[in-house]
This record gives sequence, structure tokens and C-alpha cells, in this order.
Amino acid sequence: MILTVLIFLPIFFLMVIAVLPKSQTSWFKYINLFVSAMQLGISFILYQNFDRSLSASTKEAGFQFIEKHSWIGLQLGSLGKLQIDYFLGIDGISIGLLMLSAFVMLIASLASWEIKTNEKGYYVLFLLLNTAIMGVFCALDFFLFYIFYELMLLPLYFLIGIWGGARREYAAIKFFLYTLFGSVFMLLVIIGLYFSVKDPLTGAHSFNMLYMMDTANYVKGSIFDISSGTALLFGIPARLLAFGVLFIAFAIKVPIVPLHTWLPDAHVEAPTPISIILAGVLLKVGGYGIFRVCLGIFPEGAIYFSWWLGLIGVVSIIYGAMNALAASDLKRLIAYSSVSHMGFVLLGIASTTVEGASGAMFQMISHGVLSSMLFFLVGVIYIRVHDREIANFRGLLLQMPVFSVFVFIAFFASLGLPGFSAFIAEAFSLIGAFSSASSNQLLPHWMAVVGAVGVLLGACYFLWTLQRMFFGAKHFRGGADWVKQLTDLNAREILALVPMAAFALLLGILPSLFFNLSNATLTDVVSHTLKTGSSQLQTLTNLLF
Amino acid sequence: MIETQHISTPLLAAIIALLLPLLAFLIIGLFGRRLKRQGDWVAVSFTFIAFLFSAFCFSQIWQQAPQYFQLPWLNTGIIKLAIGLRLDNLSALMIILVTFITSLVMVYSMEYMKGETNYPRYFAHLSLFLFSMLGLVLADSLLLIYIFWELVGFSSYLLIGFWYNRDSAARASKKAFIVNRIGDIAFFIGILILLTQFGTLDLTTLFGSGNIQGLVQQSKVLGDHWMVINSAGSIHALNKTYLTIAGLCIFAGAAAKSAQFPLHTWLPDAMEGPTSVSSLIHAATMVAAGVYLVARVFPLFDSEALSIISVVGAFTAFMAASIAITQNDIKRVLAYSTISQLGFMITAIGLGAWSAALFHLVTHAFFKCLLFLGAGSVIHQLHHLKHEHHLDFDHQDLRIMGGLRKKMPVTYIVLLLAACALSGIVFFSGFLSKDMILMSAWMRTQTEGSGVTFLIALALSLAAVFTPFYIFRLIFKVFWGDFRLQKIHPAHNLIVHESNNFMKVPMMLLAAFTIFIFYSFNPIHAAHGWILEGLQAPLSNFNKETVISGFVESAVPAITLLLSIAAIFSAKKAYADQKLRFLSEDNLLFQFSQRAWYFDAIYDRIIVEPTVLLSKLTGWFDKRIVDGFVNLWGNLTISFAAFVAWIDKRIVDGFVNFTGSFSTWLGSLFRRTQTGRLQQYMALGVLGLILIFVLTYILH
Amino acid sequence: MLNGIPLEHFLYISTALFCCGLFAVLTRRNAVMVLIGIELMINAAILNFVSFGAFDKIKNGGQMFAIFGIVLAAAGVAVALAIILNVYKHFKTIDPSAIDEMKG
Repeated sequence: MILTVLIFLPIFFLMVIAVLPKSQTSWFKYINLFVSAMQLGISFILYQNFDRSLSASTKEAGFQFIEKHSWIGLQLGSLGKLQIDYFLGIDGISIGLLMLSAFVMLIASLASWEIKTNEKGYYVLFLLLNTAIMGVFCALDFFLFYIFYELMLLPLYFLIGIWGGARREYAAIKFFLYTLFGSVFMLLVIIGLYFSVKDPLTGAHSFNMLYMMDTANYVKGSIFDISSGTALLFGIPARLLAFGVLFIAFAIKVPIVPLHTWLPDAHVEAPTPISIILAGVLLKVGGYGIFRVCLGIFPEGAIYFSWWLGLIGVVSIIYGAMNALAASDLKRLIAYSSVSHMGFVLLGIASTTVEGASGAMFQMISHGVLSSMLFFLVGVIYIRVHDREIANFRGLLLQMPVFSVFVFIAFFASLGLPGFSAFIAEAFSLIGAFSSASSNQLLPHWMAVVGAVGVLLGACYFLWTLQRMFFGAKHFRGGADWVKQLTDLNAREILALVPMAAFALLLGILPSLFFNLSNATLTDVVSHTLKTGSSQLQTLTNLLF
Repeated sequence: MIETQHISTPLLAAIIALLLPLLAFLIIGLFGRRLKRQGDWVAVSFTFIAFLFSAFCFSQIWQQAPQYFQLPWLNTGIIKLAIGLRLDNLSALMIILVTFITSLVMVYSMEYMKGETNYPRYFAHLSLFLFSMLGLVLADSLLLIYIFWELVGFSSYLLIGFWYNRDSAARASKKAFIVNRIGDIAFFIGILILLTQFGTLDLTTLFGSGNIQGLVQQSKVLGDHWMVINSAGSIHALNKTYLTIAGLCIFAGAAAKSAQFPLHTWLPDAMEGPTSVSSLIHAATMVAAGVYLVARVFPLFDSEALSIISVVGAFTAFMAASIAITQNDIKRVLAYSTISQLGFMITAIGLGAWSAALFHLVTHAFFKCLLFLGAGSVIHQLHHLKHEHHLDFDHQDLRIMGGLRKKMPVTYIVLLLAACALSGIVFFSGFLSKDMILMSAWMRTQTEGSGVTFLIALALSLAAVFTPFYIFRLIFKVFWGDFRLQKIHPAHNLIVHESNNFMKVPMMLLAAFTIFIFYSFNPIHAAHGWILEGLQAPLSNFNKETVISGFVESAVPAITLLLSIAAIFSAKKAYADQKLRFLSEDNLLFQFSQRAWYFDAIYDRIIVEPTVLLSKLTGWFDKRIVDGFVNLWGNLTISFAAFVAWIDKRIVDGFVNFTGSFSTWLGSLFRRTQTGRLQQYMALGVLGLILIFVLTYILH
Repeated sequence: MLNGIPLEHFLYISTALFCCGLFAVLTRRNAVMVLIGIELMINAAILNFVSFGAFDKIKNGGQMFAIFGIVLAAAGVAVALAIILNVYKHFKTIDPSAIDEMKG
């Protein structure tokens, strides 16, 4: 019940906001804030009651707070029974992301103060987005998952397209099409899976993800059945193709180079709270999907493609960092740094080691907090002078000392200073990537080395920005006007920034708070991927070649 | 892995000594401006208390069994990481050294930094530095060392950029951090290799202690493989080059911190920070961390790594000394001198003269710190003059100084003592430590007889001769001759005062430590001094112990001493008496030295500029090619859609419309016949009838 | 052969009659005259019935049809005249070419 409350709490208040008259507009932001605060409270209850010892990532026994109700059951004649469940549950992979989402939504709610036009529409969409995000991380029925997954797009499209910057329509459409491109093909795979998998209890076809993870549930001779050697599509085994399709669908969200170009535009054009959500939560849906769906359902794909996954991760790290170095717009710089940082997630996943997987998960949490903080900070100057060009600012440290302290914290935390979360995350991703060569022979050593160079480049672009924008004598393009407008942080902004900085620091000093949460599940994910994956890959190879 | 015991008193003292500076940082950082005297007393007193605790630790640990303290921190997969402290001779020596010097520098800073707008921030950052540095030397695992390693770099960044509104300071701090980061990355890769190979990063497990072998010593190179039974009890093997690579990676990290070629260029620029900072961080402590690290992981270096280390060290020692000769900025002379001296220590490690390296680290920390503090004292007074008389001159330029001997006698004497120590004059600390290194180098040449070792020894000896020359050049230029600034500004009556007690007392205390007596009762040989007794090199499979004996033992110190004295006299002739000129300023060799061998220019050209260019290129690539491709797709789709729309409108819809319009046309044609005139209908009817008849007739 | 007069002659007369009627129908600008023309044409047809009926002496179908036609023509004339009267009342004319709409 608690997950349902968590997911649908925003819907309830969405309706409240929808029926409130225009004269009550000033209440909307407080209602929204209240919802997010409630959700954060609920997620803390989840954290408290979470059993850290459950490890099965592919069995229902490994999940907690399960809710399973029959939702849609249609007799379709010769096609059998259509069985869609309302199936929710969380494990070590989702709990952290759920907490992160609740946290980021709270920050985004605080950042929403800057929205001054058509607030009713904004908050209705915001709450809808909130529901979709929570739902994605809880859903265990693929159909339900897909509904929430697509439901995220709709409010985001409008939130960027209506409340965004100058090129908002372009950015919104680009974002929408990019993600839709991935998910449409995902739908094909979902349907294929549906016809391949049967519920062992009822014998009906099922969308249950956990059933899809067990090869025993596949119908003999169906397209995704591992033992049917005939299932080739375009000369590629259907299961590998399906892995690729799902991976691309999720990788667009992560994003990976070269499917990343929606991200800088969407981030630059989106209003601050939406940038925060995009970077803080939305990118993590991609990583989550790869963990849950790609590794869970098609582990042999993860083994087969691991070298390429690692390569994509490394390329993203370096390429994102280089682009960040070249960026002249502060928000664009941070957007590209996101690309670079999310590359570590991919590298960690590709390593198929517990360290790498933990590093990847931790990087998602850490990046969620830090990128939210960074975007919030950019929003602070943008809201004051409507400019973000790095070259137009100099000596901000003299002008806005408190703000600059937070920028310092966020920058150094992001560039991987020990004591902050990103260091642990990147270190573990690299440890995983490096040890992979000896433990499972999937990634070569040089990938970890090149990834480490990305950490160096991170220092370059962040420090260069500090030097250009914050140090030196005070000089702004807007002259005396800007000096007046660039006031230091107000209480609300400090209230939003302090928890983020504290969270990043806390996770950096006591990473076990999170590692304990996910360790059991991730160990199982990795061993499942390695064991099942290798044996299935062997089966495929034997059948085909 | 060492079992966690109950915390013994020395460990408790070490923990308190470690946490006090952190506490000071937090207190001053959060409430600095609200405290009395802006909180400097918090930093100073906490540091002094930390020094007392360290001293206690030292007295308990020196020459005793090492002590450990560990807490589990992070478990995932095969990795079990703990955080803990390790107290042994080396770390005990380091903490007492660091806290002692920091206390003195902090007292000095109370005067030196007086009136700064960010006075509390200075002390906060200095406390943060002390915390990181203590953490670094106390850490018991490589990961923890790495963590504090970066924190040390971070606090150094903050302090170099203390005057952040000066562009040069902002640039220098960035450069320092990034160059250090390059080393950090290499260090981290080294850690990755060790973690993969051994499954642990615990120092004791890896490197053993005393006569107990660690995993590193147990590992064997068999054929192409580097094998070990790792901490999990299973056999693990990597290609044998990884052994060399691991060692060199960690050395690269140390080279960045200790400003060794090719990562030395940040240290001269780091002189943009306050002189007290240069004195503490960039002369005495942080830069020595590299040597400390190399000493810690010493058993890891195989013979290839060791020879590379010694070559790099010797080259750096010689190069930096040759640069120091021509610098005009008082702090830059000292910066290059630091680089050169660190080169000596690194070479010593590479030659296996482990204890000599650390001994030199200790003696150098004192006299180099003192040199900087003395220079700071001069700079401080000239800075005052500048403000008092509203003049514009570079208060760090040697060319404007001179004749300060009588005006600042205390500063003069302490600097003279420090210079003697640095030059390796007999009865001073430097004589003991530097000559040990030189002796090892020549001894190695004698035993091995290879060209490389000869070159190393030669480079070191040359550097050792340059050293007295450049440092006494500085002394003579500052304290002898006439006060050149007065000559430039004859209209002003420029009076220089001696610095006050806040600055004098720390300098005098440090000056005491330039005397041999603190290290060894024998003024010409330290081998049986207490410090070397306590510093025993860890076991190593690759190190060949060099026993210094015979001719080298007596000849090297004697010859070096003679040459040094000769160098001092020629410096006096050239700079005090102005009777001797070596090279004119536009001589190529002079330029080469003054421009620091053009390293900055070369790096700019071959690393910085290409990187920026590459980033511009990827930026362009991303915008034009990748995004261009996406937009091209978009545009193509739109064009195709427009084409389809055209087809739809013209062809498909056109057909429909044609049908419609044809019917309309046909209808309008027939409508004309529908006049409503009865007779016309009739006539048409008849006509039709006739037509039918005719047709029927024709057809039949 | 009908009393020595060959059938063709009857048909010639009938044709002439029909043509006269047709001419009247197509050209007259008076509805009554048109009606007369129609009557002429009907009579031409009736003449044909009668002439051919001479060859059917047993059933006398032609004669029967002729009588039927005469009756119908009479009824038609009655109706037509009534219509013409009404048309006149409405349009104040009985020129068929002037009446080109059926709307009342």
C-alpha cells in the first residue's frame, strides 16, 4: 500500500490544484512542496523498514513492499488471456533511486518558485511527472513500467515547451522525439516478450518482468526462447537484438554519445526546476532500466556487448568532458559534464563486477544530487540577470560570496574530490572496470585508464570555470546594473542548497549508508548476469554458429 | 588485515592530533569573523595542542612496535575497505615535524597576514591543510592516503589562490591543482593495479612492517608473470610489466606533489600564494608528501622503476638548481631550490638510500621553511615600504634589494644559517643529509660502474655545487651591498625595520634546527645519529643495499665541501663585491636558465593548446556533426514529409478532387439541358428517339 | 389489304397526322394548341392500332386498344385542360416555354 500512496499522492493533489480557483494560485507551490516533502517522508519510512539482506534480484522473494493485483484480464480467444498486473515492489536497485527522486523532487519544488506564469498548468504537469517518476522505479510489470515510462515524457514536453527559454519548442520536440524513438522499439520488444513468456501459475501470457527473467517461463519455440535456435531477426539472434534495442532505448535517456544531443538543448532551454529533474532523476531512469531490464531479462546480451558498453562509457566520459571544456554557456557546460559523469555509470555496468555495479549505482545517486545542485546554482544567476555566458562574468566570488562557496562545494564535489560522493562513485566504477580484466575478462585495462583521464578533464573544466567566472577582479558585462541585480543567495535558496551539499558530503564520508542498501541485490545482479548470461550466451553460440 | 585492537594511548593522541585541525577549520570557517581576533588563536592553539599530542605520540612510538587502529568503512564485492591509522617511526616523525612547523608558521602568519580582508579564511584553510597532511601521513591504506593526498592538493589550491582577485594567483592555483591531478590520476591507476593484484590496499598487508614480509615482497616475477597469493588466498597473476607500471604510476603521483620533472612547473607558480604558505606547504610539508609516499611504497619498485626514479630525481635536482641561479624573484629562487632538493630525496629513494632520503626530508623541512620565512620577513618589510610611500615596485625582486644586513640583523643571521644548511656546510644539518645522498650515488657508481649511475652522481654533484652559489647569491643580493631601492627612489627616505617578535621567534626556533646537534652528535657523519637509527628501509626484493665505505666515504664530503665553499666565495665576488661576471643576461645559456628551460612554453604549446584546440574541435564536432546529423535527420524527415504531403495533396487528393470536379463539370454540362421548357424536352426526346432509330437501323 | 386500300396508305396518313401533331406540340406557344397536337399524335397512334387490328379478326385486340386509347385521350384532355386552367391562374399565361419552374 505504501508504494501506491507514494506514487499516487501527487495525483490526488493534482486534482486538488486542478479544482482550486485561480485566486488561490499562491497556494500551489506550497501544495507542491508539501507533496514532495510527504514523499520524502515516505521514502524515509521505506529506508527504515528496508530489509538489506534480501538478495534475489530476479525472484519475487527479493522484492519488498510488494503489491500485486490483477489489473487487466481479457480473454482474447485464440491469443489466450491478456494478463496485466498492477505489480509494484522495490529492491536494492530501486530503493536508492526512489529516495533520490523524492529528494530531487523536493529541491525542484523549491526551485519552482521562479515559475511566474500559468502556475496551475505548471503544477498540474509537475505533479503528473512526479507520479510517473515514482511509478517507473516501482513497477515490476513491464506494461505498467512502460505506461509510467511514457507518462514521464508528456509533462516534460509541455514543461520544457511552455516554460522554457528562447528555443524551447525546438528543445522540447527534440527531447520528445529522441526518447520516443527509443521507446517505440522498446514496445516491440515488450510485445515480443509478452508472447514468449507465460505465467507458470495461470498459464496465461504475462507482462511480469520477473517471469521474463527466468528462462523456464518461456514458451518453447517462441521468439525469445533461448533454446529455439531459429529465432533470428536480420541474421542476429532475436535475444541479442532485443537487448540492443532495449539498451538503446535506455541509453538515450542516460545519455550516451552519440545519442546525447537532446540533453544540452533540453537542459539549456528547460526552466531550472525541470533541468534539476532532468539531470537528477530522468537520466537515472536510463541507468535503472539497463540494470533492471537489460541485465535482468537479457543477461547474455550484457556479456556479449560488454566491450561495446564499456567503450561507449569511456567515449562518453572523454567526449562529454571535452565538450564541457569547450562550452561557453555555463548550463551547457554542466549538461556536458552530466554526459561525462553518466559515462561512469555505463563503464561500471559494463564491467559486470560488484564494484563496478556498485560504483555505477552510486554514481547515479551522487550525480543526481550534484547535478541538481549545479543546475540550481546556474538557475540562481540566470534568474537574476538572465545570462549564463561564462565570459560575461568575472570575480563573482567578491560579488556573491555565499553563492560562490556553494559553487565551490558543488564543483569540487563533482570533480571527484575525496570526501564527496562522486569520488567514491567514480573510484568504484574504475575499480570495477580495471578488475574486470582479471575477474571476468570482459573489459580491457585501458578502459579504466582512459576513464581516469576523464576525471582529470573534469578538474580542468571546473577549475577553468572557477578561474574565469569567480576569481579575478569584479567585472560583469551588464556593468553596474548587474552589480545591483546579482544579490547573494536568499534564505529559500540556501535552504535548498544546504541539504544537497550535506547529502553529497554525507555519502562521501559514509558511503556504506548506501552500499549496504544495494550490496546484496547488486551482488545477485552481477552473479546472475555472469552465470546465467554466460550459459545462455553459450547456448546461443552453440545453436547458431 | 590487522585486527582492530582497543585504542592505545598513542593512537588516541594521534587521533586527537588529527581531528583538532579539522575542528579548527570548522570553527573558523563557520564562525571566524565573529570570533575574537577573527579566530586566529583557535587555529594556533589547536595546532599547538596537536603538536603536543604528536610529541607524545612520537615519544611513545619511536623505535617501538608500530600500532594500528582500524574501523570498517566500506564492503562491496571482494573489496573490504577500512579506515585506520598506522603509527610507526615514519608517521610519528612526520606528524611531529608537520605539527611543529605548522605551529611556528601559524604564529608567524599572525603578523604576516595581519590586516588581510580574508584573515580568518587563511587560518581556516591552513587548518584544513594541516588536517589533510596529518591524515596523509597517518593513513594506513593507500586509498586513505589517496583521499588525503587529494585533500592536501585541494587545500594547497585554496591557499595558492588566497588572493583570488589577482589573475596570476587564480591561474597559478588552477595550474597547481591540475598538474597535481595528473599525478593523482597516475597514482590512482597504480592503486587500481595493486587492488586488482592484491585485493587489499592496507599498507601493512601490502608492504609488511619491520622484518615481516608483506604481499608485495611475497609476490614473485616468474617468466612473464607477476604472481601473488592475494589477500583472498587465491593466486593472482598479471603481466610482469604491471609491476613496473604500478611503481611508476605511484611515482608519477609523487612526482606531481614533489614537483619532479616533468610535473614540476606548478611549484614556481605556486609562489603566488602568501609566503607563509609557500614556506609551510610548498617547501616543508606538502611537497615532501611525494617523498613520503615513495618511501612508503618502496618495496613495490622493481629495478627498472628504481632506476627511472633516480634518473628523474637527479635530472630534476640539476635542472632546478641551474634555473635557481638566474631567478630574480626571491621566492622563485627558493622554489627552484625546493624542487632541486626534492630531486635529491627522490634520487636517494631511487638509489635505495631510503633513510638518507627521509633524513634529508626532515633537515630540508626545517631549513627550507626557514629560508621562506626569512624571505617573507624581507618581503613583508618591503611591502610595508611600498604602502607607506605609495611606490610601485615588485617587492619580491632581488634587484631592488641590498644592504639589509644591518637593518634586519635577525633575519640576516637566520637566513645565513639556513643558507649554510642548504649549502651543506659542515656542522649544519644539510651537510649530514645531503652528503649521505651524494655518497650513495658515488658509491653506486663505484660498485656498478655503469654510465647511468655515473651521470646521476655527476648531476647531483653539480646540483650540490650550484646550490651554495644560488643561495648565497640571494643572501648577498639581499643583505650585502647598497639598498638599491633607495637609489631608484632617492626622493624618499626609505627605512626598513626588523620584523617583530611574532615573526622573529619562529624563525629563531627554526634556525636552531639547522645545527647538526639535533640529528647526530657526530658533526660529519650521521650514520649513528638517532634519526637514522630509527629510519630503517623496508624490505624490498629489488633493492641492493649500498654500504658506504672506503674512499667515497671520506672523499665525497670533503670535495663537495671544498667546492661549496669555493662557490660561496665566487658568489660573494660576483654579487657582493660585483667584481665578477659569469654570463651576460642575453647569453643563450643565461636565458635558458632564466626562462626555466622553457618548460612552461613547451607545455603550453604541446599540451595545453592542443587540448583546448581539441575541445574546441569536439565542441564543433558535437554541434555540427553529431547534432548536425540529428538535425539532418530531422530536416530530411521534414523534407520527406513535405514531399509526401505534396503527393498527398497533388496526387492522391488530386485524384479525389478530379473526380469531384469532373462530376461537377459533367453536371453543369447536363444542367444546361434542364431548362424546364416542355417543348425543348419534347424535342430532345423525339431527337433521341430518332437517334435510337437511326442507330438501330445502322447497327442492323 | 383493307377494302382494297393497302395498309401503307393508312400508315402514311397516320404518319402525317403524327407529324402534324408533333409539329404543333413543338412549336405552338399556346398550351391548348399543344394539347391539340398531342391529341393528334394519339389519334395517329389509334389509327395505327385500328389499321393493324384489321389483321386480327378473332380477338380484335387492335380495336379494343383503340377504344381504350380514345377513352384515355379523353380523360387526358380533361386532366390537361384542368392543369392548363390552373397554370393560367398561377402564371397568367399558358405559354409552355414561359413556365420553366415547377415550384408553386
